[in-house]
Amino acid sequence: MTDAAICELRGVQKSFDRGGRKPLRVLEDIDLAIRPNEVVCLIGPSGCGKSTILRIFAGLIRPTRGEVLHHGQKLDGLNPGVAIVFQSFALFPWMTVEGNVETVLRATGLSEKEVGDRTRHAIQLVGLSGFERAYPRELSGGMKQRVGTARALSVDPELLFLDEPFSQVDALTAEGLRAEILDIWDDTERNPSSILVVSHDSREVVYMADRIVVLSANPGRVRTILDNTLPRPRDARSPEFLRMVDKVHDIITSTELPDVTVTTAEASVGLDILEPLPSAHSGDILGLLEFLEGQGGSSELFQVAAQTRVPFERVLNSVKGAEMLDLVDTPRRLVVFTPLGQRFVRADMDERKTIWRDQLLQLRLFRIVKDLMELRGGDVSKEEVVQEISTRLPMEDPEITFGTIVAWGRFGELFDYHEEQGMITRA
Amino acid sequence: MIRRPFRLLGTMWGQANALFAPALRGRWVDPLIGLAGCAVLYELLQASREWTRLPRPTIDIDLSPWALPQYTFFSLTRGLVAYVLSLLFTLVYAFWAAKDHRAERILVPLLDILQSIPVLGFMPGVVLAFVAFFPHSNLGLELAAVIMIFTGQAWNMTFSLYHSLKSVPPELQETATLYRFDWWQRFKWVELPFGTTGLAWNSMMSMAGGWFFLMINESFVLGDHDFRLPGLGSYMKVAVEKGNVAAMIYAVIAMIVMIVMLDQVLWRPVVVWAQRFRVEESSAAEIPQSWFLRVLRRSRLLRRLAVWRRRGQQPKDHGEAKRPAAATRSLTPFGPWAATGSLVALLVFLAFGSWRLFHFLSHVPAAIWWSLLMAGLATLGRVLLSTAIGTLWAVPAGLAIGLSPRLSRALQPVVQVAASFPAPMLFPAVIALLHLLGVGLGAGSILLMLLGTQWYILFNVVAGASSVPSDLREAAKSFRLTRRQRLRSLHLPATFPYLVTGWVTAAGGAWNASIVSEYVSYKGSVLTTFGLGAKVSQFAESADFHALGAAVLLMSILVVTFNRLVWRPCYDLATARYSLAK
Repeated sequence: MTDAAICELRGVQKSFDRGGRKPLRVLEDIDLAIRPNEVVCLIGPSGCGKSTILRIFAGLIRPTRGEVLHHGQKLDGLNPGVAIVFQSFALFPWMTVEGNVETVLRATGLSEKEVGDRTRHAIQLVGLSGFERAYPRELSGGMKQRVGTARALSVDPELLFLDEPFSQVDALTAEGLRAEILDIWDDTERNPSSILVVSHDSREVVYMADRIVVLSANPGRVRTILDNTLPRPRDARSPEFLRMVDKVHDIITSTELPDVTVTTAEASVGLDILEPLPSAHSGDILGLLEFLEGQGGSSELFQVAAQTRVPFERVLNSVKGAEMLDLVDTPRRLVVFTPLGQRFVRADMDERKTIWRDQLLQLRLFRIVKDLMELRGGDVSKEEVVQEISTRLPMEDPEITFGTIVAWGRFGELFDYHEEQGMITRA
Repeated sequence: MIRRPFRLLGTMWGQANALFAPALRGRWVDPLIGLAGCAVLYELLQASREWTRLPRPTIDIDLSPWALPQYTFFSLTRGLVAYVLSLLFTLVYAFWAAKDHRAERILVPLLDILQSIPVLGFMPGVVLAFVAFFPHSNLGLELAAVIMIFTGQAWNMTFSLYHSLKSVPPELQETATLYRFDWWQRFKWVELPFGTTGLAWNSMMSMAGGWFFLMINESFVLGDHDFRLPGLGSYMKVAVEKGNVAAMIYAVIAMIVMIVMLDQVLWRPVVVWAQRFRVEESSAAEIPQSWFLRVLRRSRLLRRLAVWRRRGQQPKDHGEAKRPAAATRSLTPFGPWAATGSLVALLVFLAFGSWRLFHFLSHVPAAIWWSLLMAGLATLGRVLLSTAIGTLWAVPAGLAIGLSPRLSRALQPVVQVAASFPAPMLFPAVIALLHLLGVGLGAGSILLMLLGTQWYILFNVVAGASSVPSDLREAAKSFRLTRRQRLRSLHLPATFPYLVTGWVTAAGGAWNASIVSEYVSYKGSVLTTFGLGAKVSQFAESADFHALGAAVLLMSILVVTFNRLVWRPCYDLATARYSLAK
């Protein structure tokens, strides 16, 4: 099986240097193959390194450990068969639509005639005929991404990589583009043979993928690979489709909220285990609680995302945050108030802050900060706290964790933070 | 009350436009372009004859106004040649600094130092070397003048391109890597276009900076040698020496005409053309326009030329496999060995230079160093005072202009011309005035410095004020903030980053200007005051090269130290707290 793969990662690990501090490990033990004629989607929470995996496959980034194989050969440098469609389009603003496509073809050393022919064909393929002389700034987001797609297809890539391609495109346009790209891919006689999509949208993933790779974060690991055998073309409203979306949701949730599937008693109470903070803003947690109250005290996790139109990932983080503060509980996929949460949401602002502050002090991380402040006579520098976080939570990005600590601490008036001096002081 | 002159200006402008109307309709464009082409060709022939003629012991400058167009053209040619040199230097230096991380650590501070060396510091070496190199033609002296103009232009442009090259968006870089652009393709399709908008704008400003020392560049005394080249600068200098007021006025007018013409015919079109390379996708608030570019774009002749040129490029059909394979294609112009080699060469050159300089300066006695240091402090005081005075008037004026679209539309071109005008040409008039008022050069030189540098502050404050976001302005208005409150809480903080840039440029300019403002020749006599600028001028004129070297070195050290200790923290504060970019 593995011999047939176009491209493969074996035992790939990646860490980024952070100038002096301990390197941040973003990927751990990744084994992943892209086979001919399939669409593979990577999905997972932020920080799971999906874009890094894509760039390692493309040869733009080298793995710290492990190897990349291309048709069984060890890949050294750029992957010759890959073209990428970027999230931010990455078009040259000083070139016309035509110029953007021609440029990459010229770089491959084709004859002028061939460049012209291929450009015309690629532009026609994505439905941009008539816009050849337009500049990117004259085009809408969807049109720009068509140019990005045309440019990628023009070099006749064996593998087409899409890096969150539609997150800056409106929903309606995105739906059309997805279908068109699948149509182009469907022609098995022609390239691209396979497509790799990085996405954070579970519906997009179920719509496009043959195999769905769910990643967990900090460091990024392959959690599950899900085979998606729904017949094409897929109908996003069919019950099978929706069931599949639910299944993806379940897996992501179980990676993020362990007690959904694993019900170990009091997992987080162990004194020496430091729980990482989810990067949720206090405002989001407050919003979640208000929403829950409006729903009568409980709601289904995905309903929260669907009804508030907040990205699922952000909802998940807010729920995790609220759960850490013991304001909500999550039996299976439900989110329900705890008695304390009930009291919190009915209280006035002063009492809310008191509850919040008391709950913060239940968390080890905040007690550590508090102890540090006492030790230093009131003020403690950001460097010191960040240092402390990176030794105690080696898998987390300490800058992000620090941001969350500051946001939560400020809301609870536990301490104050002066951004310019980088000092935490007494409130 | 203030409005009337602007309306008048507007009417005049309208009539001038009406005059151009037939040209704009396109019928006259092609004959006019042909005519202009012939004129340029003729003048170039004249210039080349001048450049290659034998060096003469003395050149008599003809003070009649009819000789001026020729002189102006000679000066213009020097400025343009210097600009081409600056551009080449910029491309090579900025590219090297941006691409080679090891070289970057030397090249960037080196550029900072080069920027702080006053033009007279380069002069003796450059002049003597070039004159010795071309003993049988005027070329050596011409080239020396060009190089000195170059030292007023190049550094700023290089910094601008370097910063652009360093800030190319990562996704564009990744695209270039993914599609295997080689270094040249990456440069011409990605990096250079990205830097073009900034480079065009900076070229305009740098060219203006190059004129500042025109009077020195074209005629100077080095020991018992009197070097002189025909040009606008030497015309002015002779006019001042002879006290010929009419000739001085002619020269000022000629300078203004040259600046306006350069602005309209060269820089404005270039800046407008460079708009196509801007990266912000949203359309800018005010897109600059150029009548000259519009005219050119209507020319059928030029259009045909462009088509012809494109056709000429077409048949270059190189076969598919002619390019080297991707793996072997280099990402830098030279291999790693060449890069290391040139870096080592640079280091050796610098080490050798510093060693020689050390030896050269070891002859300077301590007493002279001490007096130079005192003089340096005196000049530092003047520089700061002139910057402070400039701030006092330029901030209110700049805010008034920048916050009113109508005022800025009317005054922007005027300010631009004023800023490009080399202030030393106005010194005789100011000195006459000071003489009348009984003010000595000790205080008067502050005014002379101010004359050259206040525009930088004004320019930047105008830019800052016009970039205050309209939602903040509307908020201030809707909350009924008084004028004072608005100033304190919005306008001053929002323009602060721009003001700091203005300060840095103005103070740098004032240091440079101290050379000509602390030591002024006027009606055949020399006025001077105690200061480092005066010392530099004196030592150059008496050809005391050891002392000159010491004075120039000290000035560079003072400028660089002051930049590090004062302006850099200001700049950091501005970006951390007052930046509207975040």
